[in-house]
Amino acid sequence: MADSVTYVYAITRAPRDDIAAGLEGIAGSPVRLVRSGELAALVSTVDAEEFGEQGLRRNLEDIHWLETTVRGHNHVVNAAAAAAPVAPLGMATVYFNDDRVRAVLDERAEVFGEVLAEITGRTEWGVKAYTDPESAQPEREGGADTAPERPGAAYLRKLRERRESKESSRQEAVDQAEQVHATLSELARASRVHPPQNRELAGYRGQMVLNGAYLVDDSATDEFTSLVGELAGTHPALRVELTGPWPPYSFAVLRDGN
Amino acid sequence: MAERPGTGGRTGRLPHRIETDSEAVQRDLAKLVLTIIELIRQLMERQALRRVDEGNLHEDQEEELGMALMKLEEAMGELRDHFGLTTEDLNIDLGPLGPLLPRD
Repeated sequence: MADSVTYVYAITRAPRDDIAAGLEGIAGSPVRLVRSGELAALVSTVDAEEFGEQGLRRNLEDIHWLETTVRGHNHVVNAAAAAAPVAPLGMATVYFNDDRVRAVLDERAEVFGEVLAEITGRTEWGVKAYTDPESAQPEREGGADTAPERPGAAYLRKLRERRESKESSRQEAVDQAEQVHATLSELARASRVHPPQNRELAGYRGQMVLNGAYLVDDSATDEFTSLVGELAGTHPALRVELTGPWPPYSFAVLRDGN
Repeated sequence: MAERPGTGGRTGRLPHRIETDSEAVQRDLAKLVLTIIELIRQLMERQALRRVDEGNLHEDQEEELGMALMKLEEAMGELRDHFGLTTEDLNIDLGPLGPLLPRD
């Protein structure tokens, strides 16, 4: 086994030579281009010990290593995406050497070409929607038509109402989130629904009822962002959050079983 | 638990005393005990509603059940205040299983 391997960040088409100039990759490594025909991969040389099979198995469990690596990966992808359409690879995609990368570019040229065509001239936006814990209003039913309740019975009724209103406001939020997603999906070129993020790690309140990604034509950017604002106004059960623009992580991450 | 391992550092043997901030330990213990009580209390409330829904309790029995649960909730509130804990404090993160108690 060699002592270094080739880490691939992303694939792009016919890039200018200077796309990687001065770009710093993982662990401060310089970013290079590996070309094959029309296509090119943005790569770095990394330590085989750290990124080999054994090393990855160990390091992927290490939250600090993970954070540093993710940041390095994103930094390169973001910088490249600003200059050209790029299809990011999943984090920690490594090949034995540059020749292997070239071979993969050759073998899968058609697929890569299709993916790049799909994202060219388009941008990914994220829309998250949360239930608003503040907005849950207990439904007050004046029991005027019944005999005055005894305190124990009243307590049980309160319990039930609280439970039902919590359930119905959650259901309401889920329904509204579905409407929001359907409306945005019509305007978007493509859309994906991701599982809700972990509450502690992402640090939000309430419940995440939508974690959507939308691939939007650059020409429709303004229309899309104002539509998000409009939907936030017309769906009072939700807190709506727009993030982006992103490299097309949700639509172009290439998986390769190497 | 806010425990510092004994700083004795005698290898291979447990220290005779674990140095801890006794107030912190007390508070953590109270938190743990109250969390378990709160879990049981919430389960009882659910169970009670189920019993009422089944509809074979007398009105008086329902009243009694409601009163008992109401008093329990009050007592729980007093205990929380006494130890200076919030409802959010009485929850344990079970990692992949999520929180022990449902969050509003």
